[in-house]
Amino acid sequence: MDRALKARLERRFGDRLAGPVRQRHDETEIRIGAGDVPEVLRALHDEPELGFTLLCDLCGVDTGTVMQAVYHLWSETTPDWLRVIADGLPREKPRVPSVTFLWKGAEWLEREAYDMFGIVFEGNRDLRRILMPDDYVGHPLRKDFHLPDDASRSPGGGVRPMESPGRPADAAETTVRRRATAG
Amino acid sequence: MALRPGSGADAAAGGAGTTPSPGAAGGTSPADAPVEAISVPNRLWSAEQPEAYGGVPLEDAPTLFLREVEAAGIGRTNDARWSGALEIIPTKADLVLDLIRANSLWPLTSGLACCAIEMMSTATSRNDIDRWGHFPFRASPRQADVLIVAGTLTTKMAGPLLRLWEEMPEPKWCVAMGDCTCSGGRYKRSYSTVQGIDRILPVDVYVPGCPPRPEGLLYGMMKLQQLVKARRGHWSERRLGPTVPEGV
Amino acid sequence: MTTPTRPSLDDPNLTIPVDRAGIFEPIPPARTERQQEFYALRDGEMLLNLGPQHPATHGVLRIVLKLNGEQVVDLDPVIGYLHRGVEKLCENADYHQAICYTDPLEYIASLFCEWSPVIAFEKLLDVQVPRRAEYIRVLAGELNRIASHALYIGFFALDLGGITPILWSFLERDEIVEMLTALTGAQLLFNYFRIGGVNGDLNHDFMSRLGDWMSRAGRQVEAGTALLNENEILVRRARGIGILDHETAFRMAVSGPNLRASGVPLDLRRAHPYSVYPELDFDIPTRSEGDCLARYLLRVDEIKQSLRIIDQCLHQMPDGPVMARLPRLVRPRPGRAYAAIEGPRGLYATYAISDGTDQPFRMRIHDPSFVHLQLLGLLMPGNLVADTMAINASLDPVMGGVDR
Repeated sequence: MDRALKARLERRFGDRLAGPVRQRHDETEIRIGAGDVPEVLRALHDEPELGFTLLCDLCGVDTGTVMQAVYHLWSETTPDWLRVIADGLPREKPRVPSVTFLWKGAEWLEREAYDMFGIVFEGNRDLRRILMPDDYVGHPLRKDFHLPDDASRSPGGGVRPMESPGRPADAAETTVRRRATAG
Repeated sequence: MALRPGSGADAAAGGAGTTPSPGAAGGTSPADAPVEAISVPNRLWSAEQPEAYGGVPLEDAPTLFLREVEAAGIGRTNDARWSGALEIIPTKADLVLDLIRANSLWPLTSGLACCAIEMMSTATSRNDIDRWGHFPFRASPRQADVLIVAGTLTTKMAGPLLRLWEEMPEPKWCVAMGDCTCSGGRYKRSYSTVQGIDRILPVDVYVPGCPPRPEGLLYGMMKLQQLVKARRGHWSERRLGPTVPEGV
Repeated sequence: MTTPTRPSLDDPNLTIPVDRAGIFEPIPPARTERQQEFYALRDGEMLLNLGPQHPATHGVLRIVLKLNGEQVVDLDPVIGYLHRGVEKLCENADYHQAICYTDPLEYIASLFCEWSPVIAFEKLLDVQVPRRAEYIRVLAGELNRIASHALYIGFFALDLGGITPILWSFLERDEIVEMLTALTGAQLLFNYFRIGGVNGDLNHDFMSRLGDWMSRAGRQVEAGTALLNENEILVRRARGIGILDHETAFRMAVSGPNLRASGVPLDLRRAHPYSVYPELDFDIPTRSEGDCLARYLLRVDEIKQSLRIIDQCLHQMPDGPVMARLPRLVRPRPGRAYAAIEGPRGLYATYAISDGTDQPFRMRIHDPSFVHLQLLGLLMPGNLVADTMAINASLDPVMGGVDR
């Protein structure tokens, strides 16, 4: 838990942060809006006092109400992981600027987030499906995409007969307990 | 000689001097009587008996080219005639051929996931599958006899795998290695896996395990050898689904 | 109970729901800018498909090569042939069950696949892992790392055409894996790490096998690599091929041995230590050439460092419990946790989000092989077709992790 990092981030990006800088264990987390992604990440990458040159993860998160794009970064200047959450993306058409201009290796990570969630990364020159077949319809990791045994609740449920295993008539409701929003 | 099963009398009468086997004389029930075979005319030699090959002289046999076969759709029907009721009386030569086939089943390298590592472990020195003759894992399906599907089959890969199966020349067998290929395994609820390859391929031997130990795969291959020698198995009847052949 | 009826090939209405996805079209319709660039063939160029079934693609990887004669001009790797939907399945399972789903991702190094989510869940739950359990985790993990690198050496040589080293590698790997079977009960997908510790303590069978093996391990590694390191064919096929310099490595988010072979001494066990690695003494081998041979030699050096770590673990092993006391059904407070470890292929990370229920809300798995496969598009063009396999093998991809 690096307090100095928290102070540095608040000083540098104060106006752009969409929430307080949270720290837990060895992670520091900042939240920004989707439009701020290129400048904030460029600053984190280029400035020597911050120096977050290693991209450790890029993923999408569907909280049920909004979508998020989450970046994890590592720097030599701090013992903490930095998590940047581009928050508040609408669930119908989530769009975020791409970071492939900083890390070319983010291309496939963004393709995967597009494939799984439908988040469109503007500026990614190769935004097509990567894990699912090219003509697949639907984004599997979205919260409204249900697995085959919950097919009755999914908008595309029952379309592929091979994917619906038999369900006994006296099966109880699935025990998935979920809240609408994540922490 | 009779092409239709159940005509044991004709077979005995028209036999070429070899002892009739009980299998041909017994015949199969009409329920699983296979339909017409694909016949590729033989221009190299002709049989002495006039009733050979259904009594149709070779010059009048229909010339079947592959495109016409595909268009006729006979390749898609349940009629693989290499096994099942034999229309010819098996000779010692057939027994030797079966032994040869069983002891040199060349697998295709279709390792998809974790079970592939166990399959490779079966192929290497410690558990040596070369003792049974199955060592040359061919990369080309044209040269392979057995398709050991080792690893989870996803719907994206199912197309290529089916194409590999279709490219393999007959006789060919299929071994489902690992829980994922037997029934979907730990990915039973997944949106992108095929719940067991017997949904798309006729499987002869199921080797369960996650992953099966190399000894398990060896036992499965030995079981396959039994099936080859006994001319049984799913490939012969082109049946899909997890039914167990009798006597196994 | 009757066997359920299954579809038969005779059924005229049979539809087999396999997604052909246009893979049988010679040139698929271009959907993106990059695809348009790729499928625009100039005079003399052709497309060659290194299909999903290939003896040397380390699994189901499909690479569409654009060739000008024998030289690779461009390529388009297609993955997803092993996408099993693990992240979605983990969202619908308990925390303990989710760890079982992560085993088959990098199936060659499956203890690392379990280690990362276990640390993430322990952060969510604020669980303190007993020291003995940490030492056992490091011990088992380093054994798995040696097995993985031994297989890497074998596959590297196999892809370049040598059949002997893979047999030796599998001998090595089978011995280690028998040890781990004595410890964990399984041969490939160990399912050994638990939230709060490990599944069982060290036992006599494991310790005696380990002692035997340790006395021979150094010499076995030397013998195995002596065959290859001075082999002219291997050296000439791997030296100078696929050079990755360190700025490009950072731009491509490369980590692990591929990064260290390009001159960057970044190892998460030292850069961001976890478990009991701060108490252990080992070096970080680094090479500066960045070619295939450097990546290969680096992993050989890492095997030696892993042997040092195992030795220290055995000497420093404390007593105590091997598992923290946790309820069967765990419900962490809502929150997020990220845990990254140094796997044999690089940075293996898990990002877990908890919403207070007994199932993870989101379990994101970051696999290094997924990121490293992008290097193919950078390193292969300009080389010959024969070098493509050297580059592919030197990056050590495991398709289970790539596709998840």
